[in-house]
Amino acid sequence: MQSFRLLTKTTLIYLVFIALTFFVSVRYLTLKSDSYINTQTEGFFEYRQAKLQRMAERHQTEIEERLHEMHGLKLLTDADSLIRKKAPYVRDSLILNQEKEEVNMFRLKTIIVDINGKNYAYTMRINIEDFTKLRADLLESITKAFVILALVITLFSLFLSGFLLRPFYRILEQMNLYKVGKGIDEPLVKTSTSEFKKMQSLFRKMVCRTEEDYRKLKEYTENMAHEIQTPLAIIRNKTENLIADSHVMEAHTSTVKAIYDEANHLSNLGTTLNLLTKIENGEYSNVVTVSTQAVIERHVDAVKELVGLKALSIETNLNQSHSLDIDPFLFDILLKNLLRNAIRYGTNAGSITISTTSNTLTISNYGEPLSVKPERIFERFYSSNTSSSSLGLGLSLVKRICDLNQLEVKYSYGNGQHIFSIENARN
Amino acid sequence: MKILVVEDNYQLAADLSSFLEENGFVVEYVDTLSKARSKVSIYTYDLVVVDIGLPDGSGLDLISDLKGNSSPASILIVTAKNAIEDKVRGLELGADDYITKPFHKAELNARIRSILRRNKFSGSNLLQFGEVKVDLLSMDVTVNETPIDLTRKEYDLLVYFMYNAKKVITKESIAEHLWGDHIDQADNFDFLYNHIKNLRKKIIGAGGKGYIQSVYGMGYKFSD
Repeated sequence: MQSFRLLTKTTLIYLVFIALTFFVSVRYLTLKSDSYINTQTEGFFEYRQAKLQRMAERHQTEIEERLHEMHGLKLLTDADSLIRKKAPYVRDSLILNQEKEEVNMFRLKTIIVDINGKNYAYTMRINIEDFTKLRADLLESITKAFVILALVITLFSLFLSGFLLRPFYRILEQMNLYKVGKGIDEPLVKTSTSEFKKMQSLFRKMVCRTEEDYRKLKEYTENMAHEIQTPLAIIRNKTENLIADSHVMEAHTSTVKAIYDEANHLSNLGTTLNLLTKIENGEYSNVVTVSTQAVIERHVDAVKELVGLKALSIETNLNQSHSLDIDPFLFDILLKNLLRNAIRYGTNAGSITISTTSNTLTISNYGEPLSVKPERIFERFYSSNTSSSSLGLGLSLVKRICDLNQLEVKYSYGNGQHIFSIENARN
Repeated sequence: MKILVVEDNYQLAADLSSFLEENGFVVEYVDTLSKARSKVSIYTYDLVVVDIGLPDGSGLDLISDLKGNSSPASILIVTAKNAIEDKVRGLELGADDYITKPFHKAELNARIRSILRRNKFSGSNLLQFGEVKVDLLSMDVTVNETPIDLTRKEYDLLVYFMYNAKKVITKESIAEHLWGDHIDQADNFDFLYNHIKNLRKKIIGAGGKGYIQSVYGMGYKFSD
């Protein structure tokens, strides 16, 4: 659904309300002025009609002559049946006012009077120019008032959003920029609006709580990862002692093996989680521009043998100018994990390829499409197989490293190949 | 050969001590930096194995002490994995080598022997087990005086075995020694099997005995 700013919305509602009020009041005023004109003219017409009547009674004999002088009186013949049918009727008409020599609005009323057995159509008229002018003026001024009001309200709301709501938008901006674990360095936004004050203090409280929770969680992970290492080392050493003891091994091979394997797994897990925490703590911030070619070649050399033993092959297509701004240690880990991943899941349908262009690093390997959701592969412990030898942390480690160094890592699948590409996110 | 182990965890220290004693070293251990400092000021050791993270300070200070007293002791530092700062700092201060926690005892043994061989000129550069001889300087391997040609990995593997002769070495330990953490453990074992098969074949082919024995599918032992 489309969304509007609060003030735009209020302004629109205001304008609609004003328009409604305008139409209602205009309607009321026109009705009122019309009825005023009607009352005024009706009175006049009644007076004239009565006057005619009186004149007819008083001057019975010479009425004919007098009537001729009277303006607006017309003897009806049989042909005038239309008038007979319509009368009495009222109409407004523009007529030349001879006194002022201008065209004025007149109201005309035609009635049929019966004088001495003869039917006359009597048309009376009254100048209503002033009334209609007043009515038009009224409408005009009220329209002007409405336009000005609408304009003022719109301007005012613009001013309000600029001034009154500025703290609100600044608080929003702070909320937007807030990242868990980073806290807020920005000072409090100054505002005298109690709602905003409340919002800001709630937000700050929430941030404090989040930070506190995050810190505790991090501390917990850190402690766990670190503190389990020594007990695990002891378990491992003791198990190695058992492995050297043929009496024990004859009876308990599988048990000892399970203990040994799981202790190793846990130990690797702890080490990697610890590494993740350290990375997130920004302990590896020795950012330099790493020219990748030599590093990649070294890594490829280190795994070449393993690749060969797995009947895979590895190809490189390196661009000398490719470089990344990253802590060299983190770049090592990144490469190690991507290579490990490629070797682990690569099939011999084709070779593992590492290529760099001037700004992209790509590692691809052949293999069946993922049985899991591609968008989730960077999550921790999200793995298609649950083999105990896979930690399920490699790709999330890669993702974290990229995130922290403004690099963008993408996964795609095409032509039977799993492709991971790393690009500078700032470009 | 006298070794001082500085490690704050009692279990770990005791385990290491007995392991090193089995390997023919004289071992003492202390659990704090201050105790270690007084020990090294009184006695002379051939090697000090020092954990960087000690309850009363950094093991790095002990290195400075030793170097300041121009002690002849070799130094092996134990660091947490990924603590590259400690590693670099330790080596700069004059440590001979580092090993990251958690480590395999066989690895520790190999490192210790390699350090001692390098630093003590009295130490022989020749490893021998039965008819198998390894010259650590020229990297020549002979069986019954017949030279055999080994790949780099096979050579490393053989040296690792001979340093830890007669002891069970787990597959994990060997894989880590040969490949570090480059790829998954599970994959390593197949490769490892290949290397071991080839090495065994080469030794037997030159008239040697099948010294490399599999131990319950969990590891190997270089033994008669």
